[in-house]
Amino acid sequence: MDGIIKALSLLFGENPELRQIIGVTLRMSVISTTISSGLGIPLGVLIGSKEFKGKHWVQRFTNTLMGLPPVVGGLAVFLLLSRSGPLGTLKLLYSVTAMVIAQVVLITPIMTGLTATIISIPAPRIRETAQGVGISAWRQMWLMIYECRSQLISTILVGFGRAIAEVGAVQIVGGNVQYKTRVMTTAIMMQTNMGQFHFAIALGIVLLTISFGINALVHFLESRGRT
Amino acid sequence: MIEIKGVVKTYDKRMVLNIPHLVFDDSKRYALIGVNGSGKSTLLRILAGVLKPDTGEVTHIPPNDMGYMPQAPYAFSFSVKKNVSIALGKGYEDKGQVQHALQAVGINHLQNARGNQLSGGETQRMALARMIVKRRNLLLLDEPTASADIRGISQIEKVLLDYADENNCTLILSTHSPAQALRLVDEVLFLDQGEVIAQGLAEDVLHTPKHPVIQEFLDHWKI
Ligand SMILES: Nc1ncnc2c1ncn2[C@@H]1O[C@H](COP(=O)(O)OP(=O)(O)OP(=O)(O)O)[C@@H](O)[C@H]1O
Ligand SMILES: [Mg+2]
Repeated sequence: MDGIIKALSLLFGENPELRQIIGVTLRMSVISTTISSGLGIPLGVLIGSKEFKGKHWVQRFTNTLMGLPPVVGGLAVFLLLSRSGPLGTLKLLYSVTAMVIAQVVLITPIMTGLTATIISIPAPRIRETAQGVGISAWRQMWLMIYECRSQLISTILVGFGRAIAEVGAVQIVGGNVQYKTRVMTTAIMMQTNMGQFHFAIALGIVLLTISFGINALVHFLESRGRT
Repeated sequence: MIEIKGVVKTYDKRMVLNIPHLVFDDSKRYALIGVNGSGKSTLLRILAGVLKPDTGEVTHIPPNDMGYMPQAPYAFSFSVKKNVSIALGKGYEDKGQVQHALQAVGINHLQNARGNQLSGGETQRMALARMIVKRRNLLLLDEPTASADIRGISQIEKVLLDYADENNCTLILSTHSPAQALRLVDEVLFLDQGEVIAQGLAEDVLHTPKHPVIQEFLDHWKI
């Protein structure tokens, strides 16, 4: 109880470190969601709307990557960026950029897979109808995206939710460096280990509020998408 | 002229269409008749080019400006008007054709409604408006009056006949109604298990059926 009161006073007070952590978290999550959406949605639209040889295998591959454990993804990016790794010369390890890369690796397959599933449902009928009046393949794709717009926005929000809540990978490649790569999740983990519960609780409240807000938005969009 | 040569379509090793040779003449009207699953939609899809046959080919000589309406046309979530104007194609400006088409199929009052909120029959009319919104010389229509009420049926039939006459348009439609075939078309093709078992003048095929399958089919047509 004492912890919660302290946490609230921390939240509504002026704590530069708390602000900074929230700032880094949001920056990392927004950037990685944007990149993942930019890669995953077009790819998902292609997979979901087209019939091609080997589609089955592409889908399996995507599904496997969708279930990639974050620490494994984090480890892979760590090895890639570590000093002796193939991209070691870029000196990106323990930076926000490294965290964004890890997040993109984890979230892009999710965006791709969800988008493909969403698009594949109306795609055959849209294609048949549109092709029947001579609408180009390119325009058909836009029509599919338009028809699925609320579900695709939900997908973006799901991606953002994943990004903001991720711990393992960002801990590995970001290193939880104070005032640099410390984000809400890694801070909560560390503060809890150190017994600084009020700080952890304050961040937990922020995280929960954001997650709740995103969920509410997803539900709203999905209920609207159904009508 | 449209010529089909050696077209075969199978799903999971089941042959659903097998047409060694078939010709559709320009400016004529055709009806595809046959029980559920006999291959009417499959044939229309292949003619429209939205489905590739396993073997064989379809040649349009000369290439047609074609409109194809599937059995379950998709209704986009934007306005009915836009749903129809997308069929105008690139470089075509709407100079009242959309209004005109909507009027013809009797849903002008719904032009600002959302396409995906229409009833089944209204959706079919909207899809038909897409077909007639511009000049085409080939219409492939999969059961164009399947969800229309009896008044709607005669309305739509009139629209189709007028359009076909005005544009010298070849019409190929599928129907479950022999009566409709007699009212609308020159020739009937009777499909059974993916094969054309009779082709000829509508009166000949439907009034003096020779094939036992067609005789049996028409036994159910009493009223
Ligand atoms: N995508 C598909 N996958 C598997 N089988 C299919 C597919 N599409 C059609 N078929 C099969 O092909 C056969 C012919 O179907 P088609 O839709 O051409 O029939 P139809 O004559 O139009 O029937 P209806 O009067 O019910 O519309 C059916 O037995 C159907 O089950
Ligand atoms: Mg059919």
